[in-house]
Amino acid sequence: MMKINVNGQLREAHAGESILDLCRREGILIPTFCYHQAFGGQGACRMCMVEIREEGQSRSRMVAACTYPLTKPAEITTESEQILRIRRTIAMLLARRADNNPLLEEMCQNYGALRLPAISVEPANCILCGLCIHACTEMGKSAIWSMFRGVDKRIATPYDEASDECMGCAACARVCPTQAIKVEEEGAVRRIWNKSFALVACTRCGKPYATSDELDYLHQHGDFGQEKLCEACRKKMLAASMQTFQA
Amino acid sequence: MQIDAKEYENASAYKSLIEAYAGKPEYLLAIMQDIQKQYNYLPRLAITMIAAHVGLPVSRVYAMASFYKAFSLAPKGRFVIRVCDGTACHIKNSETLLDQIAKQLQVRPGETTADGLFSVETVNCLGACALAPVMVINGKVYGKVNRSDVERIIKEYGGAERCKLR
Amino acid sequence: MQTEINLGSHDRQTVLVCCGTGCTANGGREVFKAFSQSLQDHPEIEVLPVVKATGCNGWCEKGPLVRLLPKDITYCSVAPADVNEIVNKTLLEGVLVKRLLYRDPVSKEHLTSHHLTDFYRKQHKIALRNIGEIDPGQIDDYVQRGGYQALQKALLGMKGQEVIDIITASGLRGRGGGGFPSGQKWQACRNASGSPKYIICNGDEGDPGAFMDRSIMEGDPHTVIEGMILGAYAAGAAHGYIYVRDEYDLAVQYLRKAINDARQRGYLGSNILNTDFSFDIDLVRGGGAFVCGEETALIASIEGRVGEPHDKYIFPTEKGLWGKPTVINNVETWANVPVIMLHGAEAFAAIGTDNSKGTKVFSLVGKVVNTGLVEVPMGTTLREIIYEIGGGVLKKRSFKAVQTGGPSGGCIPAALLDLPIDFDSLTEAGSMMGSGGLIVMDDHTCMVEVARYYVSFLAGESCGKCTPCREGIRALLEILTRICEGQGSIEDLDLLEDISVTMQQASLCALGRTAPNPVLSTLRYFRNEYLEHIEQHRCPAGVCRALSVFYIDPEICNGCGMCARHCSVNAIQGEKKQVHVIDESKCIHCGECYRQCAFDAIKLR
Repeated sequence: MMKINVNGQLREAHAGESILDLCRREGILIPTFCYHQAFGGQGACRMCMVEIREEGQSRSRMVAACTYPLTKPAEITTESEQILRIRRTIAMLLARRADNNPLLEEMCQNYGALRLPAISVEPANCILCGLCIHACTEMGKSAIWSMFRGVDKRIATPYDEASDECMGCAACARVCPTQAIKVEEEGAVRRIWNKSFALVACTRCGKPYATSDELDYLHQHGDFGQEKLCEACRKKMLAASMQTFQA
Repeated sequence: MQIDAKEYENASAYKSLIEAYAGKPEYLLAIMQDIQKQYNYLPRLAITMIAAHVGLPVSRVYAMASFYKAFSLAPKGRFVIRVCDGTACHIKNSETLLDQIAKQLQVRPGETTADGLFSVETVNCLGACALAPVMVINGKVYGKVNRSDVERIIKEYGGAERCKLR
Repeated sequence: MQTEINLGSHDRQTVLVCCGTGCTANGGREVFKAFSQSLQDHPEIEVLPVVKATGCNGWCEKGPLVRLLPKDITYCSVAPADVNEIVNKTLLEGVLVKRLLYRDPVSKEHLTSHHLTDFYRKQHKIALRNIGEIDPGQIDDYVQRGGYQALQKALLGMKGQEVIDIITASGLRGRGGGGFPSGQKWQACRNASGSPKYIICNGDEGDPGAFMDRSIMEGDPHTVIEGMILGAYAAGAAHGYIYVRDEYDLAVQYLRKAINDARQRGYLGSNILNTDFSFDIDLVRGGGAFVCGEETALIASIEGRVGEPHDKYIFPTEKGLWGKPTVINNVETWANVPVIMLHGAEAFAAIGTDNSKGTKVFSLVGKVVNTGLVEVPMGTTLREIIYEIGGGVLKKRSFKAVQTGGPSGGCIPAALLDLPIDFDSLTEAGSMMGSGGLIVMDDHTCMVEVARYYVSFLAGESCGKCTPCREGIRALLEILTRICEGQGSIEDLDLLEDISVTMQQASLCALGRTAPNPVLSTLRYFRNEYLEHIEQHRCPAGVCRALSVFYIDPEICNGCGMCARHCSVNAIQGEKKQVHVIDESKCIHCGECYRQCAFDAIKLR
């Protein structure tokens, strides 16, 4: 454990943990776009910049809280004029991509960001946080990746066509902070990333809840039981079995 | 991902180029460069075969192909006209050369003529700054080029005819 | 520090034909072949002169260059048709072919050797010491000039730590742009835990206008290899990579041959020079990405990933290639190492300034008379380089600025021409030395368009991962384009500055952090040009087409017709020797006529 001074107060940090992990644990707010508890920090959105001056250094420097490892005693500032300017500018720039989006509206309001003309991006509202890619790889697949580079960079499947890897689980859509990934469901068909999937119905409530591709994949890779239940029904079944347990 | 049946005719050719390297991600760039050199672009089938060989998903290989300028995902023209837009060439009006090419062939950077003869692109500094402005066609370097030079050179490559945009 | 090591005299006549990329484009190879052919036709010559194709001599303006030794005669702009005359007159009879000699523009004298020209006299070649003197494909040429002696001295007489101590004492700093003390870098790698360790040569020279590294890789590949072997021995590395920019075909060719030859001679491989030190090098060809010049992106590229950098909170010397301690240095940095090891740290440190030791290679290009590569001691002023070595501004136009440091650098105006070039002085002036590109700009260069050009270059080269760089560059480009098209407003300047500061502080890597530099430095020194674009809708340099209206001054025009000949839309009318007129309805405002007129008869409204 190390003593780290954050905004004038001493806090205890684990050696090697990121500034963001420390601050989240201590309830110190640092705004982020591309951070997710499941994946850790990526250093992409740059919203989490903070100032740090480590023991032995004469000047402080601006670093990304989500990726900066704490290895020695230090002084950290999470609110300063420079930091606020950075947050304001990042919000301003990302709001162009997700022009009507509640998350960006909130960030722009919080930091007093100027609104610039919107730009058209693919998929609409994507802020290139990359969380969808992490979700896909965590599921053990790799249907999407960030393609091209620079101002043309965008998340896509190869050739923007139906990907052989995609199983339509929509984990990417669920984790997207701006709901940029389109999931179209009509009846027993789900369409996502230009590919159509047959949906399987929940045996309890009858609602289509997962693609057959996803269920096949899950069965191949682990024992998830044979019941085809949607999340809500699964919870109810679990609750019911726990009640009998108590009794 | 759709792959044209015709591409499979080249499968064994792709295989020998690909398998010249061990199946590890560190050889990805080199394998792709060899295929690009041979075919002037990266065919879909080749991309899937490369992915299988190095043990990476197709999306990663496609990401490499779309990230690095050395690769093209679509076939290029027989003659690729590269106009250098490095700083020295830029201030010596490389734009005028592009105007002349557009006038003669009706293609702008990134485009290929309908007959597949010419592609034109702007490229990063080639390092021949003393010869600015510089134009390269299929590896042959032309230095201190002006409009009438461009006109003459393109004609030499058979570009006398006017070509429509592909 | 003299680096003209003359082992093995050139008693035998030698013809050196420059075949670097520049001269090859100008027909150097054909001249080389013509010499070989012509000499075959002279069976009466007992000892045939040796004909060598060399790397880039640096004096690209005067290429193809042919040098004759031992008399040290330099012929400029040689064509294949001139070769027979050179063979018959100079080689056989010892008579000079005057028209091929360089003629000093001031003294009007014909100079026999390039060594006597202003361009060469004031240079001090260390990194470029062999280029133009050797055939880069022949390891023996390199050995004859002292090559691989430093390696023997180190491997057979020193420990790795001693090598680091010498490099540290020399004060060598990275030549790629970062200027990080090389000895310190090697020490950090040596001290780091983890194995195997790696040595990388960054040959991804991407600054537009810079070709120093290209010349070294093409013209003297062995100096890079020897430098790397010494670095590996010092840092404790077992394997090395030379990462060469994809577009540099000739460099790749010569490096591959040099690596093979070095292996054959036992300088690379297992048990080098019969010691227990083993080291080998692989060549990796870049994929065409400027961002891969950034260390962490370069490493990603070698690992088979896209060239996206990551935060350098942990240095590559701790965790680099495949998570192992890695030293990455630039081509020119490696090229200096054998010389420092052979001649000692003090000799090197005696050259240059307090904080910047040794020499630096610059590519002097743009609107300058003598374009080419120059190597000068650190501390030489910009004025000396541009005027004394470079011969001043082309066509005697007026100097406006010199851009240094490529897309990461800035513009230096006339008022600062007496700045000594070193790592620190240029940074204070709002620019940086960068890799060494010096782009001379005249009054026909629009500084707003220059800023736009650099941002546009980076828009295509940014990896796109982080917001401030990707979206910041996008916004800067939109604003600058608007200004160049006459749609700018005064508020745009504040927005440019605001976005720029965030980019400098929050970007993930040096590409994003330095991307605003050309914008900020042109705003600092040429704000008046921005204001003229915005408030007067006029481009004072006559470059921005929407803001340039040209007319021919009837008082000056002598009817030479040059403008009309260059007009691509036939918008200029006039009889021979009569005043010409621009038809404004046809004019596309490209400015060709304005730039072509030798009498300054065409003016900007």
